[in-house]
Amino acid sequence: MVTITIDGTEVQVPAGELLIKAAEDSGTYIPRFCWHRRMNPVGMCRMCLVEVEGPRGIMLTPSCTMPVNDGMVVHTKSPTVEKAQEGVLEFLLLNHPLDCPVCDKGGECPLQDQTLSHGPGESRMVEEKRHYEKPIPISDLVLLDRERCILCARCVRFSEEISGDPLIEFMDRGNAAEVNTFPDEPFASYFSGNTVQICPVGALTASAYRFRARPWDLREVASVNPLTTTGDGVTVQASQNEVLRFLGVDNDATNHGWLDDRSRFGFEWIASPDRLATPLAKSGDGHTEVSWGEALGAAAENLSAVIEAHGPGAVAAIGGARGTNEDAYALASFMRSSVGSPNLDARLDDGLGTHLLSSLAGKGEIGDLETARTVLVWAADLKEEHPVLYLRVRRAAQELGATLITVHPTATGLADRATHTVTYRPGEGHDLLDRLRAGSGDLADVRAALDEGPVVAIVGRTGLAEDPALAEAVTAFARDLPQASVLPVVRRANTYGAIDMGVAPDLLPGRVAAGGDAGHTGWEKADTSVGLDTRGILEAAADGRVKALLLVGADPLRDVPDADLAARALDAVDVVISIDCFLTDSTAKADIVLPALGFTEKEGTVTNLEGRVMKVNRIVSGPGQARADWSIIDDLAARMGRPLGFESAEAISLAIAEHAPAYGGITWFLLDWKERDGVVAPRDGVEQPLQYIPTTSLRAVGSGGAKRGGFALHLGRLLYDDAVLTRQGASIADLAPGAYAVLNPTDADRIGANGHVEVDGHRLPLRRDASLAEGTVAVPFNQPDGPPLGGSSHVDVAPGAGA
Amino acid sequence: MIVEALTRRMNAHPTDSHTMERYLETGGYEAARGAITKTRDELVETVKESGVIGRGGAGFPAGLKWSFLAPARPAYLVVNGDESEPGTFKDRQLLERDPHAMVEGIIIAAVANEVHHAFVYIRGEYPKPARRVQQAVADAYAKGFLGKGIFGGDYDLDVTVHLGAGAYICGEETALLNSLEGRRGEPRLKPPYFPAAKGLYMAPTIVNNVETISNLPYIFGEGVDWYKGLGHEVDTGTFLMSISGHVNKPGNYEVVHGITWRELIYGVAGGIRDGKELKAWVPGGASAPWFVPEEHLDLPITKDETGKQGSMLGSGAVIVMDEDTDMVAAAERLVRFFAEESCGQCTPCREGTTWLDLILQRVLHGGGREQDIDLLMDVSDNISVGLGWPPKQTTICPLGPSAVSATLSLVKHFRHEVEEHIGRGTPVTISGVSS
Amino acid sequence: MSEQQDLFTAVANMWKGFRVTFRQMRKPRVTTQYPKEFREKPQRFHGRHVLNRYDDGMEKCIGCELCAGVCPAKCIYVRGADNPIDDPVSPGERYGYVYEINMLRCIFCALCVEACPTEAITMTHLFEMSTTNRQDAIYTKDELLVQPDGTPNHMFDEDHLADFGELAAADGWMRATSPQGRADFSGVPGWTPSAGVGLRPAEQGQSGTEPEGEDA
Repeated sequence: MVTITIDGTEVQVPAGELLIKAAEDSGTYIPRFCWHRRMNPVGMCRMCLVEVEGPRGIMLTPSCTMPVNDGMVVHTKSPTVEKAQEGVLEFLLLNHPLDCPVCDKGGECPLQDQTLSHGPGESRMVEEKRHYEKPIPISDLVLLDRERCILCARCVRFSEEISGDPLIEFMDRGNAAEVNTFPDEPFASYFSGNTVQICPVGALTASAYRFRARPWDLREVASVNPLTTTGDGVTVQASQNEVLRFLGVDNDATNHGWLDDRSRFGFEWIASPDRLATPLAKSGDGHTEVSWGEALGAAAENLSAVIEAHGPGAVAAIGGARGTNEDAYALASFMRSSVGSPNLDARLDDGLGTHLLSSLAGKGEIGDLETARTVLVWAADLKEEHPVLYLRVRRAAQELGATLITVHPTATGLADRATHTVTYRPGEGHDLLDRLRAGSGDLADVRAALDEGPVVAIVGRTGLAEDPALAEAVTAFARDLPQASVLPVVRRANTYGAIDMGVAPDLLPGRVAAGGDAGHTGWEKADTSVGLDTRGILEAAADGRVKALLLVGADPLRDVPDADLAARALDAVDVVISIDCFLTDSTAKADIVLPALGFTEKEGTVTNLEGRVMKVNRIVSGPGQARADWSIIDDLAARMGRPLGFESAEAISLAIAEHAPAYGGITWFLLDWKERDGVVAPRDGVEQPLQYIPTTSLRAVGSGGAKRGGFALHLGRLLYDDAVLTRQGASIADLAPGAYAVLNPTDADRIGANGHVEVDGHRLPLRRDASLAEGTVAVPFNQPDGPPLGGSSHVDVAPGAGA
Repeated sequence: MIVEALTRRMNAHPTDSHTMERYLETGGYEAARGAITKTRDELVETVKESGVIGRGGAGFPAGLKWSFLAPARPAYLVVNGDESEPGTFKDRQLLERDPHAMVEGIIIAAVANEVHHAFVYIRGEYPKPARRVQQAVADAYAKGFLGKGIFGGDYDLDVTVHLGAGAYICGEETALLNSLEGRRGEPRLKPPYFPAAKGLYMAPTIVNNVETISNLPYIFGEGVDWYKGLGHEVDTGTFLMSISGHVNKPGNYEVVHGITWRELIYGVAGGIRDGKELKAWVPGGASAPWFVPEEHLDLPITKDETGKQGSMLGSGAVIVMDEDTDMVAAAERLVRFFAEESCGQCTPCREGTTWLDLILQRVLHGGGREQDIDLLMDVSDNISVGLGWPPKQTTICPLGPSAVSATLSLVKHFRHEVEEHIGRGTPVTISGVSS
Repeated sequence: MSEQQDLFTAVANMWKGFRVTFRQMRKPRVTTQYPKEFREKPQRFHGRHVLNRYDDGMEKCIGCELCAGVCPAKCIYVRGADNPIDDPVSPGERYGYVYEINMLRCIFCALCVEACPTEAITMTHLFEMSTTNRQDAIYTKDELLVQPDGTPNHMFDEDHLADFGELAAADGWMRATSPQGRADFSGVPGWTPSAGVGLRPAEQGQSGTEPEGEDA
């Protein structure tokens, strides 16, 4: 720490910090446009000029490029500084069109604000302003108005330094300098929305928000991004009871203020006209609208009948990851206490072992990436599945100099920053791990890098056809690396919270292993044995052992890799009750459909991939008669004569704080008033009940059948797919690229494929990627009109008919 | 007044001074051959002792610059041949007529700074000089003066010749480095990117002007004492001055510092065209404030004296204007140059220079208003805070503050001409309202 | 005290009491036979709003919601939308797609008129706004937007009571808040005048002299 004097007040600031940041953190705001605390300074706008006393007298200096020295004396409000600020603002406004009334930034514009606070009253410019064509769409989501641009380079730097896809750049020079994209190359970044948020003027605007509202008629509430597992801080803004915008909030622990475009623009499903607003009951081929009383009565009657005829084990529940922890706790209570069945799972056969996820939660944090020497990513392509985590890893490798190792069947989005890119054929991961452990052959360098701690290992299933046991083995390996922290990653939003709340066949709320002897306070009367996971449930349903299926925000027909199994299961069961926001493929088969509230329509907590519990808040009312999951479940339990007695979501949260050991003491009050960035469970002084033991609870894909084809299948997800919440968001619905097959060029040439290939008889466009291991075919999962391939780990690939 | 040192060879052999044969015949590459046997310290000390100052414009002693080179290696040497300031054409002469002197200088400078890869960055509009330099470099490679083990020793040195793409700002050393790296030619932030510490490819880098480098063979060949004996005791050596404008004999002249402006303009350059009166002259390139005969004609030409008078010798470009010159038009033309050449990074330079130009154009075309002189001064003040000399630099590079020199000189010495323009025309019309 | 004196006092007191009455009897009548006759209203009378058009028929409203933002009674609801490129509603990128004023809430303060950057919303002399249900009191673009020739719509088109003669004063308040802010700019508007109204001389009491100051 050093002592500097700002406007006559001595303050203590960290040595070497930039003056503008040191001043802001100690209470003096220096106006600025180009400087951003998450990006390197460029000193372009010259708005942050201050006077610094130095050996050569008082010098006017940009504070964004000046590191603090001990004893520095700074004046930020002297007449010279004020004159300089007025001058810069007058210059910036010379060519800035004063179309503030129609500009989406108007009312929340740093240029407006600073003109008011630091600018001249009027311009002395009488000449014609610079003109460009008014907004030009530079991508499907972003519009560029070059007249408004003040050339601060925030977007340019973001795409170069942060997101690593430099698709927006300066062109020409001097007064003709403009920001633009390259010819025929749209700003097709997964992170383009961030540039809209950090643009200090209305030069970059989002087409989703264009002319939808003005800042003064927006209400806002702090919440958490409902579409990823990183727990990104967001501000949800709504007007006239409609959510209109998501903004990233700079949460130091998680997202640093960034959001991916799917999260930022994917809120439009909330106001989708397809939202379920009334309970539905099956009648003939379709559904008819019924009252809540009728729907719940029928559901309770059906479930009771199944329990009576076949025992409680014939009832199973799938889903719960889309809701809050409170919803999940209610579901777990309902299944284990009211119904008495341990057959429930929040994962849709696409996750990792619950013990792996729960026991490691709270052990490693995303923030460990800031100090890591080596980062190992042996998981799905982070850019596609965990975009914000991707940015943090990218930062670790690019700005902080960590050694980055990616292991994946193909080169991932991190390839350009990875020191070592290891690719392997799916199915041969265990061999690769053995060779890596031994450091043999060309893996010696990688092994040597992994011995340099601190190591952060991000572990997950590289693809849906990948053996889940591999991740367990990688975890066991990674935990023994020096100063290792392991982050197990799965994609589905609140999977971590749902599993922690006991929506898992082998866990009880608060990360307690099911089937053990340990009594669980408040759960004495419940069935605490180990039940079936999603695959087990679906198989049992198809075999007729499970008779009633409760789907909670789950669409097995699309989300479970083995769509065929899901279809057989849904056809075989007697009763399907669905709690959902939309009539999905699976919900359409339900006997009773109960409309649920979505995110931004209810309060509660969620848990991110590091075990951080965060508060989500309500800002709009739901459609029609939709109700929160917990309240539906509570009512259902009461009608079955086995009441749970939950009165409110907050009451459930208190029950969680009391009865879920790892969540001890985490209350809404704490999250609302003290820990706004969330709390990692368990809190200090609270013991984690579950210890990590490498086991494999999940079965490998296709383990039931023989290897069908000659090609190993890599079934990875893309950011934009055909999941219901993406499909229902108007802005992002069309961004899914559609299904295709990727082959190594050698393989493609060997089988003589050109243009198209047949993968297990499904004709798909062919793409070539030399980084994909030979003998592998990669197909993105759940794309519009995509083929159902998830039932097998190997497939047949043949040249497609025609060109 | 006119001396022959650097220009001796090209004057004596006007047709083939650029060839390897002529260069060797006139004692070429002997200085380099001797230099590679010396240590870095000896070489840097010799250059320091010679007192040779940088000829790029800032006039920083070359030896001192070399001694600041950070210890990290690899280091690079970049020769700045991006000569594009209006009125400057001295490097062209050296590149075109005596390229081997520069190549030999590069060898000396490279050895002195432990550099194994040097770059020559030549202005894009100089195709002929670039061809000559390219040929000279190729010849030097063929003779074994460049490449692996130069002069049969164990020192490796590669030279790459690079042509710019026509941006004046790339004459600024950090913008030049960006341009060499393939980025936009924009000056870097200083701190932290001082070339001597973090230059080309973030390695320590020496950037020297063509003329500075071309001086080296003479310093090492003829000796420091000979070099210091050539001219002024402070501004040692000879200087190439490019004289253009309304003089009888415009051109490049090799002179020593210490002669007066009268001697230069009326003696060396043969006086004003058609016997007209001298009105003003730009003493050192477009960014230097103007001199006027009443105050400055009998002042000696030295770096210090020019600085004291609020201007600079810069790159040695003297633009002479006679009594018929419309000073507003002259200032407008200079400001327009800077407005067009601004890289666009800093707001005051990007917006301010263009605005100055627009105001001057308006004044020139009869749309001037009473308040425009004050406006010009205030806009200039916002670009170059305090309007002092040397300018207090508040922009990333000195281009912005340079651009106001002409405007300030105009208002300072020729305010009446601006007022005449303003009185002459019809007032400007704003939104249909006459004011 | 005699009776005469009493009588005198009584008459004097009566005179005192009737003096005001008698004085008023001699003065001209101030009431009018509304609705048979109309009174002339002050030029800046705050009557109900209209949304103006440019001379070429384009709507002036750009849907910026500044009026809604400034409204102390929160009675204005505006939503903007992208101008159709082939058939623009207003100049520029954005137009007022929804524009509603709840006249039951409006307090006729005219802050909306001051806030409007394009002088789209102005106040007229129209004041007859009684309705028989609350829904009708919410004026939409149908009621607020003037005709292409600049004539405001009236709620009761067929009503013989409406004073159509005063409709031409629709933007009488406009010049006082003209961009230049000075009466000298009457006849020199920064914006195209409203359709059907045209330019008018300075109001009574406003100076027409050259403005002082260095720049204008």
